[in-house]
Amino acid sequence: MSHEPLVKNETLSHGTIECSDLVVTRRFLTEFLGMKIHRPVPEAQYIHKGGPWSVVCVCVEGGEAKEQIPDNRFKISVGSKEEVRQAHDEALRLREQYGIRQVNDLVESDVMVSFQLQDLNRTWWEITTADERYYGQLFERGDIA
Amino acid sequence: MGAQTAYTSENPCISAKSLICGTLVTTDLARVRHMLEKGFGLECVRAGPDLLVARDRQHRSGENKAGEPFWVLEIRQKDTVPVAQEMLNHWGMAAPNQAAVDEAYKNVNERKQEFGIVRVQKPRFRHGSYACYFVDVDSNWWELEYRAPEITYEALRAKGDLHKD
Repeated sequence: MSHEPLVKNETLSHGTIECSDLVVTRRFLTEFLGMKIHRPVPEAQYIHKGGPWSVVCVCVEGGEAKEQIPDNRFKISVGSKEEVRQAHDEALRLREQYGIRQVNDLVESDVMVSFQLQDLNRTWWEITTADERYYGQLFERGDIA
Repeated sequence: MGAQTAYTSENPCISAKSLICGTLVTTDLARVRHMLEKGFGLECVRAGPDLLVARDRQHRSGENKAGEPFWVLEIRQKDTVPVAQEMLNHWGMAAPNQAAVDEAYKNVNERKQEFGIVRVQKPRFRHGSYACYFVDVDSNWWELEYRAPEITYEALRAKGDLHKD
């Protein structure tokens, strides 16, 4: 049975994070995470990597971005388990250069490999093999019993 | 040589395929599912005992957006919300027009208790967009935003505006 939602929402369009320094943060986002960045307004830059979705990175003037926890994070999909392992090695090697605060251990299972890191602004990122195909299968499968 | 249209790196440490997912916390998956499905019109599926995933509708085989890229929200159930979220950590949704934002403001205000929404901010213009914010009982912030065609996220990416540092 179809229903009319309370909110006429065309699409999920963006998430939002804080940063303390747009330029230093951009270096991490592009050079380390491989993101594309636009800065259409003075106070924020927009992060994207394929698809219609953006993460808006807002500069907290004269302040520090607040501490987040791994349960509030953004996931970045890469092409293979080996790429996740390499990314983990790189995160440990370049931790100081990019101000990475924490690098958690790799988590490996039959279906995916991933790890989480906390960046210079206390935002958490997960590098994972989970991709659209993986999530598409979750939706096709439906609710677990 | 063409103008630079985005800040990128030629050889990043991580060969990212895509930004695929954002994650958040709730203390009640059933309540948040009701809000996302009936309130915001998203498709949800229970992927684990304490895990709900959500995306835009119409991405299933044979539907309008089948094959198009989609974004996923993962919602994890916890006993408590360890870190309260604030306005600058919101999740954004696109509205088709300004009237849809006004209508959502009215509709959500009328039924906010049913959807676990504790605060509804009056729509206003901000940076060229027209938006209102809802805050749910888990402190998650949701924005419904109308952007004129020339300032949608896709249009801004295409224009390649790079404000000077």
